[in-house]
Amino acid sequence: MTRNVMRWTRTLAIALTGISMASVAAAAAELTVWCWDPNFNIPAMADAGARYTAAHPDTTFNINNVSQDEINQKLQTQLLAGVSDGLPDIVLIQDDNIQRFLQSFPGSFVPLSDSIDMSKFADYKVAAATYEGKSYSLPFDSGVTGLFYRSDYLEEAGYKPEDVQDITWNRLIEIGKDVLEKTGHQLIDMDYNDDGQIIMMMQSTGQWYLKDGNEPNIIDNPALKASLETFQAMAQSGLIKPVSDWTGYTGAFTSGEVAMVPQGVWITGTIKSMPDQAGKWRVAPLPALDGVDGATHYSNNGGSSWYVLASSEHQDEAIDFLKTVWAEDVDFYQGILVNQGAVGSLLAARDGDAYKASDPFFNDEPVWQNFSDWLAQVPAVDYGTFTPEARLAVRAQLPNIANGGDIDQALQAIDAQLRQQMQ
Amino acid sequence: MAQTRLDRNEQINGWAFVMPALVLLGIFMIYPILWSLWMSFQVGRGNNFSFGGLANIQRLANDALLVQALTNTIIFFIIQVPIMIVLALLFAVALNDATLRFRGLFRTILFLPCVTSLIAYSSLFKSMFSNDGIINQALMSLHLVSAPIPWLTDPFWAKVVIISAITWRWTGYNMIFYLAALQNVDKSIYEAARIDGIPGWARFWNITVPMLKPVILFTTILSTIGTLQLFDEINNITQGGPGNGTMTLSMYIYNLTFRMMPSFGYSATVSWVIVAIVAVLSIIQFMIARDRRRGA
Repeated sequence: MTRNVMRWTRTLAIALTGISMASVAAAAAELTVWCWDPNFNIPAMADAGARYTAAHPDTTFNINNVSQDEINQKLQTQLLAGVSDGLPDIVLIQDDNIQRFLQSFPGSFVPLSDSIDMSKFADYKVAAATYEGKSYSLPFDSGVTGLFYRSDYLEEAGYKPEDVQDITWNRLIEIGKDVLEKTGHQLIDMDYNDDGQIIMMMQSTGQWYLKDGNEPNIIDNPALKASLETFQAMAQSGLIKPVSDWTGYTGAFTSGEVAMVPQGVWITGTIKSMPDQAGKWRVAPLPALDGVDGATHYSNNGGSSWYVLASSEHQDEAIDFLKTVWAEDVDFYQGILVNQGAVGSLLAARDGDAYKASDPFFNDEPVWQNFSDWLAQVPAVDYGTFTPEARLAVRAQLPNIANGGDIDQALQAIDAQLRQQMQ
Repeated sequence: MAQTRLDRNEQINGWAFVMPALVLLGIFMIYPILWSLWMSFQVGRGNNFSFGGLANIQRLANDALLVQALTNTIIFFIIQVPIMIVLALLFAVALNDATLRFRGLFRTILFLPCVTSLIAYSSLFKSMFSNDGIINQALMSLHLVSAPIPWLTDPFWAKVVIISAITWRWTGYNMIFYLAALQNVDKSIYEAARIDGIPGWARFWNITVPMLKPVILFTTILSTIGTLQLFDEINNITQGGPGNGTMTLSMYIYNLTFRMMPSFGYSATVSWVIVAIVAVLSIIQFMIARDRRRGA
């Protein structure tokens, strides 16, 4: 009788332990991820997750489509309130936005440089997420820039692809005027509520809106001044088609209206979304700024990285996942390059086969190899904490500059607004 | 003085009944309001708060962007509120005419914008007024303009778009108030005026408008407060741009909190600026109305 009871108890105990272990294992299994682009980073993350789950069947992934604005707002409100319920384990954050999180909410993110060798990644990507000597990001996509252009329009105006290789912006403006006159196509389109064009020109010289941490670098920044002057010259020559939002922006070149798109490599997917334009597009390095020290043909616009939240209950799994797939799996990077056009920041990935292939859409140019060569030469800049403030201040002056306003006055105004917002 | 037991019981019962509502109101309304007042004296970024005394108020004094947001907001309500009130009044009077056919249909059409979602109609306006949008195409094909009007890329035209958008959205709403008020105006007054040979516009000016004065005051205050809090349209159509040309106070608070380095203390201070302005404007409007009543 007693023995029976004891045996039952033991069985029950074992069963209960089993159940509780199973539930722990099940809980340990799911990593929640927030990212935003269903054509880009979401499928890339899904692919990475599938690879990890194949090797570690007890870890699965729950990838949520959360817009960038929502990620910023949710993180900001929840971190402020100190409530971690519902926050993901891994989150994607745009590079020029991360410093404010690292500095406003110390201790909220896991320093990944403790467990992952950051020298494997492009320098400037690592620098963007380094705070007090530690790096917090697993660098993901690069915003390395190129000048996408319609070779058929150029040809119509009497130019060859060589004519736009390694040129300066002033030369491009001359070509643009010619193209406009002969074909009726404007050079580029631009949303004056977005300073991406300015950022690309400025960063190609290694300058940024801020320097030495958080000192505004506006008034005595020759690169910024030259960028704004170039922008003004283009606008005043009628080479820029103004648009008012992202749909308008992409519509102007997918419809064949404008001749060129200076942009980060992530725009490739959008450009290639028009199969009937295959063979008409080519990619050249970004033009360099005239008369500025350190001007190069390499720059960056956008790009984001993965972060592990300190509130995550599955930190170890999350870090191990990022380490084994995102920091080591060269084969994985070939897949997302081919499928999503994602140029990652892992330097070793450049030696893979996909990077060496040429793309018939771009006249059989080895575009990926080019982009990754350019990527290694992008000047690193320190985004600092106040990049969002600086960008808003610059945007505020763009319409005025486009209409021919005085650049020095605009720089003064930018500086004043930025300093005010930095308090 | 002596309170009977019944009295006391009624007192206790009364308080017990209103207590749940009061507690909820206290937790979800009064406490956050007091807390935001406390916040407005805090300085620091994100989670690193400290008491800053009057530092935020000093910052207000030197904030050029705040001045611009304030100017834009004032331009919006000085231009938009009168246009909308006059339009709403005219529509209401026209639709109140018993001889008009399809009155119900017209009323529905004019009121319909009010039931559309703010986001949906903002998105529509944004696409209609874009560079290649339907408005520009229509103007161009009618040869009214030779080049597309930069509706959303020029600070002046962007203001025009915002003003048209909110006028479209809210005119019908105000019209309903006037229609309701017109039902209470005694028809015999109009009859008497007509017999005396008073022309239509004079009847409108000297009978309808004075009779509706309290409602006009009410809708003016409501619209003013609404314009001061203007956010949804701005956020969806222009994001405060181009060149801060449509930046409003609410949009600025949002930027301070969510788009820039979070500076919650200062955002709270700016929010209290709106409270102060609304209070002052409402008092002024009430005083004007009271004077008129005394004069009448």
